[in-house]
Amino acid sequence: MGEVASGGGCCPPMDLFRSEPMQLVQLIIPIESAHRTVSYLGDLGLLQFKDLNAEKSPFQRTYATQIKRCGEMARKLRFFKEQMLKAGVSPKNSLGHVDLNIDDLDVKLTDIEVELTEMNANGEKLQRTYNELVEYKLVLQKAGEFFQSAQSRAIEQQREYESHQLSGESMETPLLQDQELLGDSGKPVKLGFLAGLVPREKSQAFERILFRATRGNVFLRQAVVEDPVIDPVSGEKTEKNVFVVFYAGEKAKAKILKICDAFGADRYPFAEELGKQAQMIKEVSGRLSELKTTIDAGSLHRGSLLQTIGAQFEQWNLLVRKEKSVYHTLNMLSLDVTKKCLVAEGWSPIFATKQIQDALERAAIDSNSQVGTIFQVLQTREMPPTYFRTNKVTSSFQGIIDSYGVAKYQEANPTVYTIVTFPFLFAVMFGDWGHGICLLLAALYFIIREKKLSSQKLDDITEMTFGGRYVIMLMALFSIYTGLIYNEFFSVPFELFGPSAYACHDLSCSDATTSGLVKVRHTYPFGVDPVWHGTRSELPFLNSLKMKMSILLGVAQMNLGIIMSYCNALFFRNNVNVWFQFIPQMIFLNALFGYLSLLIIVKWCTGSQADLYHIMIYMFLSPADDLGENQLFVGQKYLQMTLLLLALVAVPWMLLPKPFILKIQHQARHGDESYTALQTTEESLQVESNHDSHGHEEFEFSEVFVHQLIHTIEFVLGAVSNTASYLRLWALSLAHSELSSVFYEKVLVLAWGYNNVIILIVGIVVFVFATVGVLLVMETLSAFLHALRLHWVEFQNKFYEGDGYKFHPFSFALLDEEEE
Amino acid sequence: MGFFVTSLIFLVVGIIACLFTRICCNRGPSTNIFHLTLVITATICCWMMWAIVYLAQMKPLIVPILNEGE
Repeated sequence: MGEVASGGGCCPPMDLFRSEPMQLVQLIIPIESAHRTVSYLGDLGLLQFKDLNAEKSPFQRTYATQIKRCGEMARKLRFFKEQMLKAGVSPKNSLGHVDLNIDDLDVKLTDIEVELTEMNANGEKLQRTYNELVEYKLVLQKAGEFFQSAQSRAIEQQREYESHQLSGESMETPLLQDQELLGDSGKPVKLGFLAGLVPREKSQAFERILFRATRGNVFLRQAVVEDPVIDPVSGEKTEKNVFVVFYAGEKAKAKILKICDAFGADRYPFAEELGKQAQMIKEVSGRLSELKTTIDAGSLHRGSLLQTIGAQFEQWNLLVRKEKSVYHTLNMLSLDVTKKCLVAEGWSPIFATKQIQDALERAAIDSNSQVGTIFQVLQTREMPPTYFRTNKVTSSFQGIIDSYGVAKYQEANPTVYTIVTFPFLFAVMFGDWGHGICLLLAALYFIIREKKLSSQKLDDITEMTFGGRYVIMLMALFSIYTGLIYNEFFSVPFELFGPSAYACHDLSCSDATTSGLVKVRHTYPFGVDPVWHGTRSELPFLNSLKMKMSILLGVAQMNLGIIMSYCNALFFRNNVNVWFQFIPQMIFLNALFGYLSLLIIVKWCTGSQADLYHIMIYMFLSPADDLGENQLFVGQKYLQMTLLLLALVAVPWMLLPKPFILKIQHQARHGDESYTALQTTEESLQVESNHDSHGHEEFEFSEVFVHQLIHTIEFVLGAVSNTASYLRLWALSLAHSELSSVFYEKVLVLAWGYNNVIILIVGIVVFVFATVGVLLVMETLSAFLHALRLHWVEFQNKFYEGDGYKFHPFSFALLDEEEE
Repeated sequence: MGFFVTSLIFLVVGIIACLFTRICCNRGPSTNIFHLTLVITATICCWMMWAIVYLAQMKPLIVPILNEGE
């Protein structure tokens, strides 16, 4: 690509105007130093490797096992991160470089993982036992209370009964009662019981099901546990009830056990005697405190382990990611037949040749390789990637252009002009220096806190605003300028540049509201005269001004676009495009809209009353007619006829010659090639690749002709519609100034008029919110989008192809972005 | 201050800005051209805006007519 790189010569090289010249390089790397070489190149980050194994699946590649191992290590690291997140340990951002081998790290990670999982399992087991014991203790306490109260009641009853008997049999005493009681006590039934805990929300259903299943032959007591307990099975906090259920018979017991299982009710052994109960409570408490200390010690140990992981986590993570990317890259290289070296191909900027060779040399020395890496530049017809070296200011502008389309290799980059014209056109629509200052403060806030914010993770909208902070700053600066031109500060005019040029006709000022003021001084030197604000003729005046301004700015920018196409044609040595595209386009646009711009300026300078619409329309309808009162200068009729003729000639000029010339060129080239193929194969191939950018071997005349036809129609219609499209500058600027004057007059001035502090405060609050919400946020967005459209469509369609692809070097510095 | 005087001021400011960037941010010839392009484009944009507004007010066809209320 040497020829293209040195091609052109229209102007000295400018940063950012064209892609860095690129070259296709081949590296032949001895296999023993391959890993180190690639990792050094990753540190350098100026080589984009080509995938030479595109037909192989990921599993068939040379280093599939290593990648798998890295994936496994990454999984372990993710597991650690999860554990740290749960434990509330945050990984530290330690920048210190640790010399760690990937094999050692693998062993270390495996060890730590085993230790951690074991610790987790043990901890879980202990915790579960602990929770069970807590529940058991609760059951012992609560159920113990039942038994105590039941026993005391029973004793009472017994005593009552005995005293009853002792008092003697009265006549009224029923005979049957005795017998019943006697019968009862005489035939003691062995009642079994179960105690345990049931979740409170299930307790109602539990009771009902128990009752039904045993046909009522059951006695259930429940007591509420005030504090929620941790369920040993799920490990979650739940509210529970202690229950004791009494039953008769083994069959009932089996049923109850089943029901308990179904309801997730945990049962605990329980002794009937009070003494035993007390003893058990004591025992359980002892074990609880024992367990507590064990668990505490365990979690302390686990915490310290996680702390040590956290201290080095970032380094390990980085190392693993680097390693993985190195193996990914190694997989893209093809293995030599001798299996002793790897062959790499890739794109690199020409300026980086020295750096790459240095890196290769260092790698060979560091890995004690006997042979160094062979570095050679390949000749190719393939289109190289596009690479612009941007900085933090220009990168966001380049991003705006790239999101439309990445520039074709070495074509003129619109970013150079967009850096100024984009904020400028934005400001034409956003002209208010009060709002501009607000925007500037916001942008400065982001710029001042740049260092801090760039290391932080931001949410989407803040991230976007932060990324475009320099765009916003320039937009704000230009808005302040255009605001001064429009003479608007939150829609209020100031007499900053001397007194107004207008005054009353006479002292009484009687006709100021009918025929208006008169101009008594020189024109207001800078911007719009403040006197216009609030007058009846303000809108007609501003509309006419802004409409004409939009046309003038638009024609200027479109001309710049066509001139850029000339730069491209010169650079690629494409004379056909100069003579049959650039010149007729220039003529066509300027014969129509350049002339309109001229008329506008002449009309302003002479103060003529001529109707420009009329002139433009009748220039087409009846060019030979006399202009009459619409004549602005002598010879206008003949100039118009010439321009019209030129515009009409320009259309076939654009359409017809180019396809025929391309055809002749193609034929000549092929005729040439057949005779002198041996000497100039390389050159002719390159010439072809330059001229026929699509790389088609065959020349399809009809296709080329249709393409040219479309291009011509697009340009001719586009000249009209694009000029009209620039009127959005007028529309948006009008909307902005009207909105801000409404907010000022209908909110702030109105509130002021009431002479009431509260109303004034409310008015100010409403005004501030409306200004920030509508004018600063919404209007900024809409003006931004319209400026974007004007650049993408109206400006760039004149010259920008945007069908290139971006340079993606293999670089460790870019790993972070890829991961996220 | 006529049209040409103010235009001259714009020109002078533009030249000063060019010199300023050349002296303060001298980072090799290609970067200097880039900075120069930016400054020239910005100056032309600002001048155009001012010139358009100035010219439009030079020979007014419409004069300010005050509102009835004022």
